[in-house]
Amino acid sequence: MEATLEQRGQEGSPAAPTVVARGLERVFGEGEAAVRALDGVDVQFERGRFTSIMGPSGSGKSTLMHILAGLDRPTAGTVEVEGIEITGLDDRELTELRRDKLGFVFQFFNLLPVLTAEENILLPLTIAKRSPDRDWVDLVIDRVGLADRREHRPAELSGGQQQRVAVARALVTKPAVLFADEPTGNLDSKSSVDVLELLRGAVDEFGQTVIMVTHEPDAAAHGDRLIALRDGRLVHDAPPVSADAVIELLKTLG
Amino acid sequence: MLRLSLKNLFARKWRTAMTAIAVVFGIALVSGTYVLTDTTNEAFDDIFVRSNERIDVTVTPKEQVRQFDGSVPAFPDRFLKKVRAVDGVEVAEGSVFATGSILNLENESTGAPFAPQFISSGLAPRLSSVEYVEGKRATGPGEAALDLEAAKRGGVEIGDRIKLVGAGPARPFEVVGLTQLGGASFGGTSIAQVTLSVAQELTDRRGRFDQISVGGDGSVSAEDLRDRIAEVLPKDLLVETGSENADRQASEIRDGLSFLSIALFAFAAISLLVGSFVIFNVFSITVAQRTREFGMLRTLGSSRRQILATVLAEGILIGLIASGLGLVAGIGLAEGLSALLSALGADLPGKSLIVAPRTIIASFIVGIGVTLVSSLIPAYRATRVPPIAALSEGVLQTGRIRLWVRALISAVMGTAGVALIAWVLIGDIDGGAGAARIGAGAVLLVVAISIFSPRLIQPMVRMIGVPVRAVGGLTGRLATENALRTPSRTAVTSAALMIGIALVSFVTIFASGLNSSVTDVIDQNLEGEIVLQGPGGFVPIPPEAARLAGRARGVEAVSGVRYGQVKVPGSGERPISSIEPKSVNDVLDVDWLDGSPRQLEELSRGRAVISQGLSQRADLKVGDRFRVLSQAGTRPKLEVTGVLASGNLDLLGDIVVDERSMVRDFGVTEDQFALVKVVPGSEVEQVKDRVANKLDRAGFPTVEVLNQEELKDRQKEQINAILALIYVLLALAVIVSLVGIVVTLILSIYERTRELGMVRAIGMSRRQVRRMVTYEAVITAVLGAVAGLILGVLFAFLMGIPLEGEGFVLSYPIGTLALILVLSALAGVLAAIYPARKAAKLDILEAIAYE
Repeated sequence: MEATLEQRGQEGSPAAPTVVARGLERVFGEGEAAVRALDGVDVQFERGRFTSIMGPSGSGKSTLMHILAGLDRPTAGTVEVEGIEITGLDDRELTELRRDKLGFVFQFFNLLPVLTAEENILLPLTIAKRSPDRDWVDLVIDRVGLADRREHRPAELSGGQQQRVAVARALVTKPAVLFADEPTGNLDSKSSVDVLELLRGAVDEFGQTVIMVTHEPDAAAHGDRLIALRDGRLVHDAPPVSADAVIELLKTLG
Repeated sequence: MLRLSLKNLFARKWRTAMTAIAVVFGIALVSGTYVLTDTTNEAFDDIFVRSNERIDVTVTPKEQVRQFDGSVPAFPDRFLKKVRAVDGVEVAEGSVFATGSILNLENESTGAPFAPQFISSGLAPRLSSVEYVEGKRATGPGEAALDLEAAKRGGVEIGDRIKLVGAGPARPFEVVGLTQLGGASFGGTSIAQVTLSVAQELTDRRGRFDQISVGGDGSVSAEDLRDRIAEVLPKDLLVETGSENADRQASEIRDGLSFLSIALFAFAAISLLVGSFVIFNVFSITVAQRTREFGMLRTLGSSRRQILATVLAEGILIGLIASGLGLVAGIGLAEGLSALLSALGADLPGKSLIVAPRTIIASFIVGIGVTLVSSLIPAYRATRVPPIAALSEGVLQTGRIRLWVRALISAVMGTAGVALIAWVLIGDIDGGAGAARIGAGAVLLVVAISIFSPRLIQPMVRMIGVPVRAVGGLTGRLATENALRTPSRTAVTSAALMIGIALVSFVTIFASGLNSSVTDVIDQNLEGEIVLQGPGGFVPIPPEAARLAGRARGVEAVSGVRYGQVKVPGSGERPISSIEPKSVNDVLDVDWLDGSPRQLEELSRGRAVISQGLSQRADLKVGDRFRVLSQAGTRPKLEVTGVLASGNLDLLGDIVVDERSMVRDFGVTEDQFALVKVVPGSEVEQVKDRVANKLDRAGFPTVEVLNQEELKDRQKEQINAILALIYVLLALAVIVSLVGIVVTLILSIYERTRELGMVRAIGMSRRQVRRMVTYEAVITAVLGAVAGLILGVLFAFLMGIPLEGEGFVLSYPIGTLALILVLSALAGVLAAIYPARKAAKLDILEAIAYE
């Protein structure tokens, strides 16, 4: 399976988009109580770009990201990651896809408290039983500024440091896409800037593709592209100009 | 607040049920034991009251010294005339009641495997309460009546022929009647009734009776008649009214069976102790997980008292549920046990089970008490939660006890526990008082270990984790770390299993020691290659058997060994044995402290060889004289001619006399077993067959003829049968501790929901999650098993020290102990099935969004 994923992954030409979603619909519940979280979303994400997804509560932004990341299944529509249609994969295939092609950073740092910082960073490789590329690992750890914190346990790290561990963990597998779900939602402003600049740097230096859900205009301004959702529909898709412009945009969305 | 407790329990039905299960087993054993003993006792009361229904006064021999088999020597029949002459006596009859064997013509026993069989003389209808369901009373010398149940079991009908074996060769009889006592069975025992003179001949009681039964003419009360009769009889005869006699017999049976209920209660206590560990753990974890809830309640103005009450109320409610379930399960257990026993032919004599109010009250008090006590400390911790905890995130660790306090409490309790056990072992406290102290000591010791164990488990878990990591890689590593995350939780969970495993390994080692000790004694002390014994070794054999064996071709020497009990002033009841002086040194080789085999050859009336134990206890040396009280009521004086070294495993008891003295002075006429030495150079198996054939032809089909290997096997079978029974009862405690592992894992998984979601999101497969949980369960189980094995070996070693002098050799069955370890690991896998599946099924989206 791993081999086929690899092969199919290589079929996509460098110019092609990494993630393609077509006609995504997601309905929660049934009958009267049914809620259309996504109501026909078509969107593509190009390789090496940093996209922010925004929208008011209930706009469907989190649902979109969950479906793009293979954590949830759409009611209708398809998602392709590197040419692989993921909406048709079973649980085992999805697990392997997440393991090998995707990276995650969550709002709550979600590190394993029983492992050291370095072990947490290496966790996806360990799960996959792959031996780490030491140079790459050292580079990532160095880049997130945790070279002197390798042996610390999460409880001994600050919130910002923990989130940087999470970013490093997401980068270590060189994923096709890095998904970040409100990565600064639980951080002070200084740490927030650190994390956002890390993500920005990953895009600029390593050509990493990043898709980030956020409700903070300052965070969104770090991206190359800003898409906004409202009532399950895509209502805005353009490069962000400034944080102030984003605030204005959000006001129009209500 | 009670509403809150109720809602909490109801909202967590599953957890409540699992927590309740932790005590249900123990309660079931308590109530089951009560129901069983009440039912049995009532039934025996009924049997004895019925049998004496028409009897006003009974005359029986007074028991001078309690014998192993409970037998009392018969008394001369000349007293019957005196009784008949007493004014107010309408009818008086002597009767005989003795153990024997009832066989069909193929020499197969009609009885249940373990139930005794009796030969008795029937009483005249005026005195007898036995009903003849079919046929009539035995009146001729070749006639016998059989009890209905025994007849059914043996497939015997009126007109069929049976064989009865008493103290002599088997004799054939025709069954002329089937009897019943008020519709009740006798608990699997079979009774054959023959005429008085035949019974006297069969049981070697010519001119003697076991009982005189008297019916009054109605002119005086039974009490007055009793007093009148007592006046004309010697003091060593016991004269009672019929109902006094029934009460005494019933209470003797009750005492005789009490060891059974004590043993069952002990196993109930073990299971409850393990259950209390589980409950303590569940409450500790849930209180920790509900820290925010308690903080919130405090901010809303709940007092500490109210918080305490909510948690304790939950404990009480769980206790209530568990007690109810346990009570019902116990009644079911009693029902099942009696069904099982009757399937084996040893049916309990009860008709319907008796659930006394005491049974119900005791079940509820014990159940609620155990849960309440187990939830006290967690409830107290809940009251320590500050209101600010409402705002904090996650699980708050409260109430950390300082290390030195922990160590101190642990040391004090541990020392007290060891002291209690040592007191019993050194002080030689017998019976219930001793057992209770050993139990209390063991509880203290186990709790002491558990209190300190969070400190001990770190290195142990790391060690156990080595192979797990080697096999499981990352999942093994994470499992090890998870097990260590809350050391006290893992410690208590595995301590619960430790208790069961410690006991299992202790009895395993002990039984193996017993086996090898028996083997050693047979190898070293038995020179005779062939052994004769009664059925199962429990029943004595007629002396004729040894004499016959001595005449078989190829037999060089035979010595019967007889057993009895005598009272030695200042030393209580002591076992006595007799040997045949002429041949004993051919068949036995015992170790001497003072003397030589010649002392056995020269035994004669008034001389005795004693054991090292008695020599020390009663301060007797060679040349000293001492008096004993025999079961026959005589007080022979004995001179010590030699002292046996200990280490013969009580083969010859504390006092050894010659066979003739045993008959004359101590009234023991039958051999417990006989040892046969074959002529050097002859084939043992051939001689064995010859002896067996000779005995068979002469009418002793019940005598077992065994070579040494067969004897060893028989002993092993008996030890292993008891061992199996203990295993079954201990299994309850082990199951409870496995339930503890299941609940603890589930609660831990609940706590780690978000973590599990994350590792799944970054690519851990369901399989890997399942493995991780399974490894954690295996680590916990193996931890408990290792600790239990260490403790079990230690206990066995300590218990073995004082027994060493008796010839007890400890042996460690390494294979079995390793098997226990492997089975424990497998049990861990089993316990993990449900939690692991639950963890693997976790919805990633819900888990990471969970807040």
